[in-house]
Amino acid sequence: MKGIKDTESMKTLIIIPAYNESENLPRLFEALKETEGDFDIIVINDCSRDNTEAVCKRNNIKVVSLPVNLGIGGAVQTGYRYALYHDYDIAIQLDGDGQHDPKFIPYLIKRIKEGNHLCIGSRFIENEGYQSSKIRRIGIKYFSKLIKFLTGTLITDPTSGYRACSREVIKLFANDYPKDYPEPETVVTVLRNKLKVSEMPVIMNAREGGKSSITNLKGIYYMIKVTLAIMIASISGKSVVGED
Amino acid sequence: MNMSSTLRTTLIIGSILFFVFIINMVRTKKLELKYALIWILTSLSFIIMSIFPETVFMVARLLEVEVAANALFLCIIFLLLLMVFALTVAVSRHADRIKKLVQELALLKAELEDKDKASENKDH
Repeated sequence: MKGIKDTESMKTLIIIPAYNESENLPRLFEALKETEGDFDIIVINDCSRDNTEAVCKRNNIKVVSLPVNLGIGGAVQTGYRYALYHDYDIAIQLDGDGQHDPKFIPYLIKRIKEGNHLCIGSRFIENEGYQSSKIRRIGIKYFSKLIKFLTGTLITDPTSGYRACSREVIKLFANDYPKDYPEPETVVTVLRNKLKVSEMPVIMNAREGGKSSITNLKGIYYMIKVTLAIMIASISGKSVVGED
Repeated sequence: MNMSSTLRTTLIIGSILFFVFIINMVRTKKLELKYALIWILTSLSFIIMSIFPETVFMVARLLEVEVAANALFLCIIFLLLLMVFALTVAVSRHADRIKKLVQELALLKAELEDKDKASENKDH
């Protein structure tokens, strides 16, 4: 583990995966401007069909546009690769759809500086703000219980995509990140690598526009797949960080 | 137990045509040699089986399967399962490679645009 590094000089990157989010991004950029703290922003445009790229450029936000749609996992991982190549100390992942309020960024940064390797913004610690639909809450609770059973650690909001990572986790994610529905699985991977995971209460908004990637029809497939992925992650060995 | 001669002739002609087709695919580089090998072997065994149907009965006796057709089905299904599995492995590997390539390409492109912009600003 890193010793006492000058915490002031820690380079921080905000990773925003975006797929057809041109309507939501300007508001998010405004909010980010108001947010205190020193950080860079990168939008990963996952081959959007709208003018997401143009919106970023107009707002002078750095954007990486994938030539092929890779899905949320592949997009977020591109951000982590960028963080790794540019030697960032902290990476914060934030959805581009307006669900995640940037005002919690300074607190997430603080948690990583305090020695946590992964800090998850959780809706279910103080149970404030948008709590998702009842059926989704049941699903989230189930994943939470499954992870508690397999790793012994209680994660109240394993599906949250609002997360901050340390250098170690950036490296881990840059090399290995699941394709779709990545959040619960990666929490287990990080725990399996004996890294410190903590949660911080955040308030999420109902999505302002666009659609959730998980529709009712896909719900069952999602539950089965993520259950399997969590189980596999909990029996896989420590990730070997390196090229394949 | 003898096959009708028309069926036999059809099978022989069919399997030879199949063999020629596979060879042609390899020749015109439409099929990678690595994957062609299994198809060449398969088509050759079709030719052998159609010219000497006794081989099928021999294999059936060897496997202690009473009906020769069942032995044939068993072998073919086993072979097909193996091939499909190998293909799934290959597809998974390719998907991973493509993902990595796409990511690196996008990052490089963004980097390049940045450099261009920086040098443009210097020129003005």
